[in-house]
Amino acid sequence: MILIGENLNIMSQTIGPALKERNPGPVQEMAKAETKAGVDYIDLNIGPARKAGDEMMEWVVKTAQVVTDKLLSLDTTNPVAMEAGLKVAKNKALINSISLQPDRLEKELPLVTKYNACMIGLLWGVEGMPRDANERAMLAVDILYKANEAGIANEDIWIDPILTPVSVEINQLKACFEFMAMLKEIAPDCKSTVGLSNISNGTPTHLRPYLNRTCMIMLMRHGLYSAIVDAFDTELISIARGQKPKIVEVVHRVMDGEKVDLSSLSGEEAKYAKTVRVITGEALYSHSWLEI
Amino acid sequence: MAFEVPKTAYSGKIKEIKLGSGGKAVTVGGESSYPFYLFEGEMPHSPRIAMEVWDMPPQDWAPAALEPFQGVTDDPVAWAKKCIDDYGAEMICLQLISTDPNGLNRSADEATAVVKKVADAIDVPLIVWGTANHDKDTEVLRQVAEVCQGKNLIIGPVEEGDHKKIGAAAIGYHHTVISSTPIDINLAKQLNILLGNLGVSDDLIIVDPTVSCIGYGIEYCYSVMERMRMAGLTQQDEKLQFPLICNVSKEVWKTKEVHIPTAEDPKLGDAKKRGILLEAMSTMVLLLAGGDVMVMRHPEAIKLVREMITELTAAN
Repeated sequence: MILIGENLNIMSQTIGPALKERNPGPVQEMAKAETKAGVDYIDLNIGPARKAGDEMMEWVVKTAQVVTDKLLSLDTTNPVAMEAGLKVAKNKALINSISLQPDRLEKELPLVTKYNACMIGLLWGVEGMPRDANERAMLAVDILYKANEAGIANEDIWIDPILTPVSVEINQLKACFEFMAMLKEIAPDCKSTVGLSNISNGTPTHLRPYLNRTCMIMLMRHGLYSAIVDAFDTELISIARGQKPKIVEVVHRVMDGEKVDLSSLSGEEAKYAKTVRVITGEALYSHSWLEI
Repeated sequence: MAFEVPKTAYSGKIKEIKLGSGGKAVTVGGESSYPFYLFEGEMPHSPRIAMEVWDMPPQDWAPAALEPFQGVTDDPVAWAKKCIDDYGAEMICLQLISTDPNGLNRSADEATAVVKKVADAIDVPLIVWGTANHDKDTEVLRQVAEVCQGKNLIIGPVEEGDHKKIGAAAIGYHHTVISSTPIDINLAKQLNILLGNLGVSDDLIIVDPTVSCIGYGIEYCYSVMERMRMAGLTQQDEKLQFPLICNVSKEVWKTKEVHIPTAEDPKLGDAKKRGILLEAMSTMVLLLAGGDVMVMRHPEAIKLVREMITELTAAN
């Protein structure tokens, strides 16, 4: 399981101002902390960066590379900023992300081969968010075809099927899982990723890790290759590294529809079992889902 | 092979709750199928209509809505009695408009006195609806709960921000609470859980999903109510098996469309008929989504809805 740390993000209270003021301290602290936490990639999220995004991305890549040898994921919707970052990245970088809008494809697909990078293929179409698993499949085929045409190999393409919050529209979440199960048949050699924390958007902060971790275990079972995650959720990293087989087993049993007797589980395992039920839609989500 | 009509597999049932006290108390809920799906299950209690009474003379009602209540709008007791005696109201919903801090801001003492007078004067169940201002509703509804002990009022809206204090008063003086959330099934479930944690028993909860009028997003209300029923009836979600109350007429009669006089825009048709139909149709939509108690205003609209309920619940 490849983990991409999400924490170096312009939305953060400390990182945002540091990026704008070109203050290397907080940026390098974060890069070091994520490196220590043991993620595989560090995501450098500078947002839409409409004004002078190229300068900001170049600066943040260079600044981070001083303190870490980790691979970098460059996260912006500004193609000029993306190229500026790719130019100075020492290792094979990950472009986060390219969606299916024609102008994005036209400007950004050539960057993948030009800089020998990988790309996240975000299944966001001309008409916005795909409505179900089949629309996701159509968009996936479409972006793979266009990327292949541009000379990009499937193994450099990480498909992102768009994970939505559990508290918004459960059918979207179901569609994301259904699609993940289909992806290995559509394109066995391409990779995949999700913005994992998105599933717990809107959930009280201290409870978010249960949704994030459980969702990751469930998606890993469908072959998920990587995820953009909270680098400081040590339990999540242990799970991804295969160090929590008992929790994984509980999640799998509930996924298989087994009526697991909660009283036979430890308190912690029971929380995972309950979380599977809200993610599959078997039980309706509420903020108190772990208590009932 | 003979054609077989597909049938929904129900695994849950809506809770039955008793509203009010004495001989005119009503029971709602108990459905074991989707609304009016009598070919799949039971609807042991027909939905009920509560007639709206304001605690102050309305300033901005359309003429069509005022007409049936001429002469009583400055006296909530007379107004409530007229609803019962002349229009056959089975329940009354007293809207405490005058307590609104952004309006007249009448004190809790004054409001409580009015509620008490109405409660003593009528024998049908009484709903007391505040202004959704947490501080004011807490103050008013706690006092109302105490003074009207034994009446089993239905008080609300109780929201996450004031559920503890109003909920505690409802437990102490035995009233039903209106668990109210803004058109969101997850939040609705959450508030029902919180009320349960507080100790409000299941038979003292009725849910207000927040509703609106046709043309003003009613499809969202419909969808949320429909999903509540699906969760309660087919997914055994115990926290979504409560009867639903819809405070709908207040929404209908504040829309622009009911206020435009016939002469001003003849294309819209007769103003009175337009308002009545908008109220009746909006209510009907919400009944089809699962409403159990409908707060209504115009006697003609009520008549239309009653006819529909009678037809839809008639044994073949």
